Amino acid sequence: MATLEDELLDLIAEEGLIDRAKLVREATLADVGLDSVGVVSSVFAIEEKYGVEIPEDTQAHTLGEFLDFLEGVIEAKRKA
Amino acid sequence: MASAAPAIAVTGLGALSALGYGAAETWASARSGLSGIAPRLFDPGPNGPDAESYAVAMVESDGLVARIEASLGRRVGASLDPFALFALAVAQEALAQAGLIGAAALERRCAVVFGHGFAGIHTLEDAYERFYGRATGRVHPLTVPRVMVSAPVSAVAMEFGVKGPVFAVSSACSSSGHAIAQGAGLIASGQCDIALVGGSEAIATPACLRAWDNLGATSPTTCRPFSAGRDGMSLGEGAAALVLEREDHAKARGATILATLTGIGLSSDAYHWTQPSLEGAVSAMTAACGQAGMLEQDQILISAHGTGTPLNDKNEAAAIQAVFGARAPGHPVIATKSAHGHLIGAAIALQGVIGLMALNEGQAPPILGWLGEDPDCALDLVLGEARTIEAESLLLNAFAFGGLNTSLVFRRADPR
Repeated sequence: MATLEDELLDLIAEEGLIDRAKLVREATLADVGLDSVGVVSSVFAIEEKYGVEIPEDTQAHTLGEFLDFLEGVIEAKRKA
Repeated sequence: MASAAPAIAVTGLGALSALGYGAAETWASARSGLSGIAPRLFDPGPNGPDAESYAVAMVESDGLVARIEASLGRRVGASLDPFALFALAVAQEALAQAGLIGAAALERRCAVVFGHGFAGIHTLEDAYERFYGRATGRVHPLTVPRVMVSAPVSAVAMEFGVKGPVFAVSSACSSSGHAIAQGAGLIASGQCDIALVGGSEAIATPACLRAWDNLGATSPTTCRPFSAGRDGMSLGEGAAALVLEREDHAKARGATILATLTGIGLSSDAYHWTQPSLEGAVSAMTAACGQAGMLEQDQILISAHGTGTPLNDKNEAAAIQAVFGARAPGHPVIATKSAHGHLIGAAIALQGVIGLMALNEGQAPPILGWLGEDPDCALDLVLGEARTIEAESLLLNAFAFGGLNTSLVFRRADPR
């Protein structure tokens, strides 16, 4: 069964039009080619899928930080 | 063209419609008499009224994105509204046929002008359904760039690195006719050597089709141009593109010249939202044919606006008779909206692609949906099956709602 992180990476690859294999935690968003359009599209798709509202104030620099931020929001919703 | 204006060649064609992916498939279907018009159910979703069926001509969606991605060599996904996605596909095809992908001339000496009657309807309807129909009211953050009428030309410019004049035009059913005229004008005025022109349209959505239905302009069965018992148009989705190029530029780089653009006639009825005027149609056709010097030619292939509405076809038949007089019965008339539906802003560009292929093959594709003769439409209609023709020139007509008319004349490149 796919982990939450795998699901998020699939969505980011789809919405950001990025090769899934490039998406490693250590890479920066810029390194993997995730621009502002890719970020807002990914966030919208994640909000749709998990029924959450993701704040706009992410300070994520690397993909790992971005994933941790997203997973935090989704886990908080699941526990609520 | 005026005598001082440069000759304008066509060096590439692209098409995407219910008749097929690419100009060759589209032409083969039209020549064979295949119709892309079929009943289809449109479901507005849980917050709307019941689903309804409409007879429309849709682009085959299965595998479409994958084919476009393969032709572009990169991912596109769901990043564009269909009207921009379609434009990207036909732009790629036309530029590839012209041998211009990656060419230096594209960067500074090329224009892109596309016409659309509507913009981003799929995206807009989705956004409105979410906003008005759902408690979250959440709307996709890229709704604005996806619904811009200039989204297709921006997508094309970014994809192929075009940095010259790039813009969209709109005049309902004449939009791509005006786009072609604009592209020719940019070449004639020296602002570019090449103009990628055309149109795209994607309006087959539940609310948009309801609006057309309420207007009473669409047929419950199919488009039957110039036929007795015709009862309206069939809407279609798709796109078409032509590469226009200064003829000496095309020759200098060894490009294959498919045709030349020899006449442009533009007029406005200044009369009515939905009813055509004889004067407006005659004016556009006379201007285009006069410029092309072919009012006295023996045989011209006429690709009619031919929407299948009672009023348009009667008016257009009268206009053809008025313009050509005793020569009118010698001009074969085709009406391919009976096969690919009415693509509104992309209609005349698609009919141009099909018409030029018909001219170059010497085969006129048949009008479909025919039920019987209407004495008000006494023209030399091509019926039943494709007909061998001798015509060397093609006249294209588009007479739009709001009274905006374009007629264009092309001449085939080489004698058969």
